[in-house]
Amino acid sequence: MSRRRIGLALAAASFAWGLAASAAHATDISFWTWRQEDKAAYNELFADFTKENPDIHVKFESFPDENYPTIVSTALAAGKGGDVIHTHAYGWLEQFVKAGYFEPQDLTTVPSLANQPADALVAGTYRADKKVYSLPFASQTLGLFINKDVFAQAGLTPPTTWDEFITVSKALKEKGFYPLANGMGTSWFNEMFVAIFTNPFLGQDFVGDLTSGKTTFKDPRYVAALGKLLELRDYMPPGFEGIDYETAGQLFITGKAAMLAGGSFDIATYRTQNPAINMDFIAPPTAKAGDTPQVTKFFDGGYAVNAKSANKEAALKLVNWMGTKEFGDKFSALLGNISPIKGVVIKDELLAHVAKLNETAMPHINVVYFRFEKPTGSELLQGDITKMMSGSITPDQLAADLTDGLAKWYKPFQGK
Amino acid sequence: MNNGRRHTKKAFPWRRSLWIASLLAPALVVMVLLVLWPLLSAFRLAFYEFNGLQPTGFIGFENFRKVLFEQPYSGWTYNALKHNIIAFVALMVFENGTAFLLAYALLKALPGHRIHQVIVFLPVVLSAVIVGFLWKLFLHPLFGLVNQTLALVGIGAIPWLGNEHTALGSVLFANVWHWLGFPTLVLLAGMQRVSKEVIEAARLDGAGDYVLMTKIIWPLIAPSVTIVTILTFIGSFNWFEIPYVMAGLTGSPGGATDVLGLYFYRTAFGSTTTGIQDFGQGSALAVMMFIIVAGVTAIALRYLRRREIEL
Amino acid sequence: MSATAHRGQSGELLRNGAIQLMLGLNAIIMIYPLFVMVMSSFKTNAEIFSSPFALPAHFSLANAERVWSETNFVRYLANSVGITVAAVALILLFSTMAAYAIARYQFRLSALVLMFFLSGMTVPLKLAIIPLFIQLDSLGLVDSYAGLVLVYVAMGIPSAVFIMTGFLRTLPRELEESARMDGASEFRIMRSIMLPLARPAFVIVAIQNAVPIWNDFFFPLVLITSDNLKTLPQGLTVFVGEFTTDWGVLFTGLTLAALPITLLYTVLSKQFISGITQGAIK
Repeated sequence: MSRRRIGLALAAASFAWGLAASAAHATDISFWTWRQEDKAAYNELFADFTKENPDIHVKFESFPDENYPTIVSTALAAGKGGDVIHTHAYGWLEQFVKAGYFEPQDLTTVPSLANQPADALVAGTYRADKKVYSLPFASQTLGLFINKDVFAQAGLTPPTTWDEFITVSKALKEKGFYPLANGMGTSWFNEMFVAIFTNPFLGQDFVGDLTSGKTTFKDPRYVAALGKLLELRDYMPPGFEGIDYETAGQLFITGKAAMLAGGSFDIATYRTQNPAINMDFIAPPTAKAGDTPQVTKFFDGGYAVNAKSANKEAALKLVNWMGTKEFGDKFSALLGNISPIKGVVIKDELLAHVAKLNETAMPHINVVYFRFEKPTGSELLQGDITKMMSGSITPDQLAADLTDGLAKWYKPFQGK
Repeated sequence: MNNGRRHTKKAFPWRRSLWIASLLAPALVVMVLLVLWPLLSAFRLAFYEFNGLQPTGFIGFENFRKVLFEQPYSGWTYNALKHNIIAFVALMVFENGTAFLLAYALLKALPGHRIHQVIVFLPVVLSAVIVGFLWKLFLHPLFGLVNQTLALVGIGAIPWLGNEHTALGSVLFANVWHWLGFPTLVLLAGMQRVSKEVIEAARLDGAGDYVLMTKIIWPLIAPSVTIVTILTFIGSFNWFEIPYVMAGLTGSPGGATDVLGLYFYRTAFGSTTTGIQDFGQGSALAVMMFIIVAGVTAIALRYLRRREIEL
Repeated sequence: MSATAHRGQSGELLRNGAIQLMLGLNAIIMIYPLFVMVMSSFKTNAEIFSSPFALPAHFSLANAERVWSETNFVRYLANSVGITVAAVALILLFSTMAAYAIARYQFRLSALVLMFFLSGMTVPLKLAIIPLFIQLDSLGLVDSYAGLVLVYVAMGIPSAVFIMTGFLRTLPRELEESARMDGASEFRIMRSIMLPLARPAFVIVAIQNAVPIWNDFFFPLVLITSDNLKTLPQGLTVFVGEFTTDWGVLFTGLTLAALPITLLYTVLSKQFISGITQGAIK
């Protein structure tokens, strides 16, 4: 009895000593992000990482989205900041890379890069040196949320073509529902709204012509697609110019509206807010019957390593781990985001359906191609779209503003 | 300037100089270290080209040329500047005008004036974040109390913050609500310094409220008016927080609420949803804001001080 | 004779009635939104969207409990109080000294010094956040109370000097001169004779600075990363961000962040108001 107790005490002591020893050697690294709402999930993931790497502890530090660029660029300019930094993709990433703030990643330092598909890697690659600086973390899909209960109540089926969309919307409106929950009150979402409804009218050919310099946004196809947006105004809530994306979400989940143009990133949010919701996520209406349904897809961002980090090795280890299937599986399950990592199994039915839609997706043109220099396509479009929807400028004018603005730095548009 | 009343030199001029210098030193040291030096470093960037977040070369006045004369930047600059000017005029008329009337009403010391002084200042202690959120809720096109009230008289859903013609006015209104207490109390303090005998004498001469207000009170509170005018001017040209909370960094809809503060911040620091940062152009905008505000303030102070009457 | 006096009185009564009505209306406009804010903090998200201006169905403290238990609320509160008090005290001290020198003495660079202070007021320090951060870093003041306090002091000094100078200039010269005749030192004249008269200006400057410092979350966000140094608005902004779409929690966070300074103001309002308006004695 007493011997056992001594044994236990010894075991406890050595365990405690072990802990103390590992604590003495432990490296603390920090992870900076704007995803404040993902705190719990990341802490769970980081706990897994520490189980495998007991000598590395990761601290989650989050900042409000609106102030994130300021905070990160200030800290990095002074040689400070988190060891691992959550970045947005494309042009946003490039300006940091150009300043030398991030560590390049390759297969020797981050072997799990091999798990990433090519189109995801583009989002984290600097165009000038073709090196990866940020390990992609999720793809986002833009499409149409459907409140199945509302459709059942109204005795209607969700539309697949534009004409059906209009017919169904008229019927929904007569039955007292808002057909489409969206408004124009949230600038960043307006750009996504445009992408969602214009992309099926534009098609992959247009993207090819645009990026190869054959055409500009003044193309009649683009102007016509913008014109379609004006038809939507009749089916949005009254005062839609002032309705923000949060309100739209509320109208949708409370069953006041039947459809919502939105992003797969909000599936989890809507489920938390209304666990009873019976919803679907489908492709936006196609131009005509028989067309391939086309959602819009883009890569959100990735994980970069601070070039001035005092714990670069540990930071690279963490980033490498965040590129493994083990991370991807749990990440997708916890956050309802689609991890681009090859072989990741998505258990959630709706999310798996979204992943399927991704196979025929269109790129988010502005985000993927036109955010590299000033003025960005995003600021030009976001500035003009509310004016177009309120009728103070025409689609032609918007297309011209966008093309002329981008021509400042995008060579193929110059002189057109 | 009334030099005659100033303290003139005495014996021990070095002791006097040392005394004055030691009074000024702490404030000057803090200002030089934490305002002057950082601002000059930032202003320097206005003359550099940026490719990414680090300067790549000296380009003289190129950034200024762009924000002043090259579309689309120049269009954005003048649009924002126009809104700053509108904000100043509107705040002078509505915020300070209301404040003047309120102060005059409170001066009468009718029953309840003390509690009213407390109430009118209450919003001033709140943050712009709270004020912005509250008024967004009140002005909401579907649920907002303003529209629900208007619906009673048959007026349909007005998207106050979403309409190009009403957005700036709505944001200004929230600002007036937020800050009204400050000019009210400053003006009231000024009015209470006007001696009771002067007011009584005017009353005995048969002056009514209007005459009293315009001919006696108004000229005599000149120092308070100077403070309020200058602070309003600087406030409207550095206006940032309320539009930021209510209309976002892009001054939505379509730049209808854009002001120089938002525009410079957006240019220098970007936003995660519109893309990239340009410290060069951002600093050029800030230098221009500085020149406008400092220049006008200096001129206005000189003019306003001249009409101040020594009490 | 008595009839005209009577008419004058009833006219006065009517006018005062109108003024009271206007004041009453204004009071409602000023108070009601605050009432809505407090009520909203008891509500669920669904309630806020379906009936934003009704009373809450239950006075549920669930939101407040979450803020209380999931954040370092007391610590944030203590930090905010400490930082605000320290910053306002230093602003008052430094800017009164400077303003006194400018307003009460004649020296060669006086106008230039005043212009220098004023120019600090004309441009937002946000612009210079990167050089400011690097400067603080070289002084070893990033992620410390002292760094944040000094930034606020630097931001507050210009307008404080402006207001104090304007006020100190209007103080009568005679008191000062007679004290000087009696052989009082310059320091004694300033401290015992002139400054007690400047109380209204102190009160205005204190409140004008305390409010934005208390409410600011931009500079703490950039300058403070340790959780135990965070201020209340900063801590609650980040906390509320974890519930971006939960307006009930949001309003609770906002209300709790505003509560301390609102209470303080209400409690001290009598001193505050009489402090400002005591210039009436003359």
